[in-house]
Amino acid sequence: MRVFFATDIHGSETCWRKFLNSGTHYEADVMILGGDMTGKALVPVVHDGGERWHGTLQEQRRDLAGEDAVAAFEQDVIRRGYYPFRTTPDELAELESDSKRLDDLFHKEMLGTVERWMSMAAEKLAGHKQRVFVCPGNDDQFEVDDILAAASRVELAEGRVVEVGDYQMASTGWSNVTPWNTYREEPEDVLLERIRGVTQRLTNPPERVIFNLHCPPYASGLDDAPGLNEDMTPKHGGHAPEPVGSKAVRTAIEETKPALALHGHIHEARGHARIGSTLCINPGSAYEQGELLGALIELNGKKVKSFVLTSG
Amino acid sequence: MASADMPMERTMFVRKATGLVKGWSVFDAFIYSAFAINLMALGFGYAFTGVAVIPTGGLIAAIVLSGLFIIFEVLVYASMIAVMPRAGGDYVWQSRVFGGGIGFVLAATGWWFILWHWVPIYANILILEVIQPILNVLGYNGTDTFHAAWWNPIHGTGIFIASILTAVIATVVVSAGMSWYARFQKWCFYGAMVGLVFMIAVFLLHSKADFITAFNNQTDIYGTHAANAYQGTVGAADKADLSFQGYGSAPLRATFLLIPFMLFFNLWPNWGATLYGEVRGASDFRKNIYAMGGALLFTTVVVLITFAAMAHAMGFNFYGVLSSEYWAAFTSPTYWFPYPGMLAAMFFSNGLIQVVLLLLLSLWFFGWADSLFLSSTRMIFAAAFDRILPEWATKVDDRTHVPIGALALMLLPSIPISYLYAYNSKFYSYTLDATVVIAITYFGTTLAAIVLPWRKPEIYRASPISKYELAGIPLVTLAGVVFGGFLAFCIYKWFTDDVYGVNHSSSLRYMLILYGVAIGIYIASRVVRRREGIDLARINSEIPVE
Repeated sequence: MRVFFATDIHGSETCWRKFLNSGTHYEADVMILGGDMTGKALVPVVHDGGERWHGTLQEQRRDLAGEDAVAAFEQDVIRRGYYPFRTTPDELAELESDSKRLDDLFHKEMLGTVERWMSMAAEKLAGHKQRVFVCPGNDDQFEVDDILAAASRVELAEGRVVEVGDYQMASTGWSNVTPWNTYREEPEDVLLERIRGVTQRLTNPPERVIFNLHCPPYASGLDDAPGLNEDMTPKHGGHAPEPVGSKAVRTAIEETKPALALHGHIHEARGHARIGSTLCINPGSAYEQGELLGALIELNGKKVKSFVLTSG
Repeated sequence: MASADMPMERTMFVRKATGLVKGWSVFDAFIYSAFAINLMALGFGYAFTGVAVIPTGGLIAAIVLSGLFIIFEVLVYASMIAVMPRAGGDYVWQSRVFGGGIGFVLAATGWWFILWHWVPIYANILILEVIQPILNVLGYNGTDTFHAAWWNPIHGTGIFIASILTAVIATVVVSAGMSWYARFQKWCFYGAMVGLVFMIAVFLLHSKADFITAFNNQTDIYGTHAANAYQGTVGAADKADLSFQGYGSAPLRATFLLIPFMLFFNLWPNWGATLYGEVRGASDFRKNIYAMGGALLFTTVVVLITFAAMAHAMGFNFYGVLSSEYWAAFTSPTYWFPYPGMLAAMFFSNGLIQVVLLLLLSLWFFGWADSLFLSSTRMIFAAAFDRILPEWATKVDDRTHVPIGALALMLLPSIPISYLYAYNSKFYSYTLDATVVIAITYFGTTLAAIVLPWRKPEIYRASPISKYELAGIPLVTLAGVVFGGFLAFCIYKWFTDDVYGVNHSSSLRYMLILYGVAIGIYIASRVVRRREGIDLARINSEIPVE
């Protein structure tokens, strides 16, 4: 069985489209998308009157004339993983002072995009045999689960043990506590209980178990992120990574000893590591560049036969 | 355009999400780059002494001119970091643009194999700028074991021990981690700057007559016992018909010929490029330019000030004389390595002050030498993650978190190479390729930068640099053409001109062997992985978007 795993695409439509094509491209039997599929930012496209608009992407202001230019700019925003929205200078000023309205707009754009992506999946994967699993991550709000659960061509993996060929896959997108107070994060002891709540439903022997846990295990090298000062600036010019993974995830891996553990969360920490007999992989993420980083893993029913990290 | 009383329009709303941090400090990255183009260790340690080989060249002009060309290197690397901010640097970029084979061969030679050879080169500088000067001022200036003259910087047990020390220092730093190293490097920078200011002040506060007196006195103390050493040295240089250009002189052709020497010193503002992870956008592109370019500008200006101060105290010409004497261009009554720290220390008769000055200046070495293996381990990790190298290369010790696999691949080969350097009279000349091989790796990245907008248009368009154009030509391409042309000139000169010492047939064969080993590893890994069912060609194949 060949598995393709990618993660942390953060609203990048380019990456989502590539993910949908990855099964065919890599001849994979199963496609798994780890957590954090929703974007981090809204980009206003401001109406200046008449046919004139403007927007700013990557700190570059663009003045746009006409619908075609606006649509092209919006596509650039979407490709990078952000959500464009059309507005006026007055509305923009109101939005700045109204956090509730801003939250609502985020929800609308994020959930609307996920719904659109599920339709896209249904269309693109029609007639294909691959199974597709998606497990939201700590940056994804809970309503995403409902949309995934209702999707026709994508299976929600969160909190479940699913049969994948001869294997069982246990999944959760929850993480340990982060400095950003995200949707799905909790203290290590609570997280460990959450993971155990899923893994206790496993019936396969360890060599036929896959973990799909968004957060990487602590001090595995797959969790090295730039250390932060108290004011949230990276320490030492971003040159000094520190382990920020989950001790609960590490404990769960040491307890269950699955053949394979798939992780994401820390974009910079692309790599693989062994914890005991478990092969742990974090393919990393380069969603802003429109690159789909992934892992292609060959399982033969007894062990991980081979694997490789990809940049597609 | 926003006026002063108009509130700045919000251009983006960011929600709570992992990884959203404020901008990193340019100063922190600047320190890393400033140490990489180390004026004391690399400049005065070797590059500037090139004036001995091409005395008709303008040394100051060569430093400035080469710096101007290196600005384009800064642009190329800042661009590539912005386009693909991934640990692994050159390896990742070249693999993505040209394919894994070219990426691996050029990165493995330039970031891995050749850095084994830099261990004795670093050790050479450790002896010349730290061990020998301190032993001399402490009075251990004889030829006895562990005295200054015993520490031969090229041959023998002294350089071997210094090489082992260097490798151990680099290993300890990789083991301790970047966070510790970054703190250590920052304190080294402050201390090293205090030492540098102290040294410059010493030169400025003394006259040429003071210098001649100090030189003659101290030369006697340090074992050469030559009466009137200054006059003797200058006289011998005159007799050999040696003359050097003045501080501001810049005869174009000869100055250009000096430039390949200067690259030993200032080719490396991008040394941290393999370390970069996720960056945020155009502001980070600019910050990378500020950090690397700022380090280049700062270092160049400090070098100019240092030489001006030295010229004030001893005459600019005398630096060329000492360099020529060191490289045995003429027979002199003295034998001095022209290390400005030692030349400044000579003004003092108090040993404690001398040692303090030399120890402060030694921080230029200790803040820099530790990074010897850091970037290499990143490249090794990146290649192992792509399955070109075996999985054990990424092995991290569970208890200490030390990357023992990558460290072994750096440390273990460096020991026999240091041994050969120390005890085999021919091997020293092979290490002269050290700069060339890395320059060729940079040339590969530069070619990747030039063609990037056409080879990987999607990635390029999605990057914050895609808006930077000149006459419709992408800035990254223009910068790449200028820097690529500059590198091509230097590589051509290295290969064709005897003065640089790297166009020996044995040296070329040695370089080819290094490339051959890299090609062999890549081919072997493709065969082995294919048997395992992995097609390495797939790693970088583009997944269709539509």
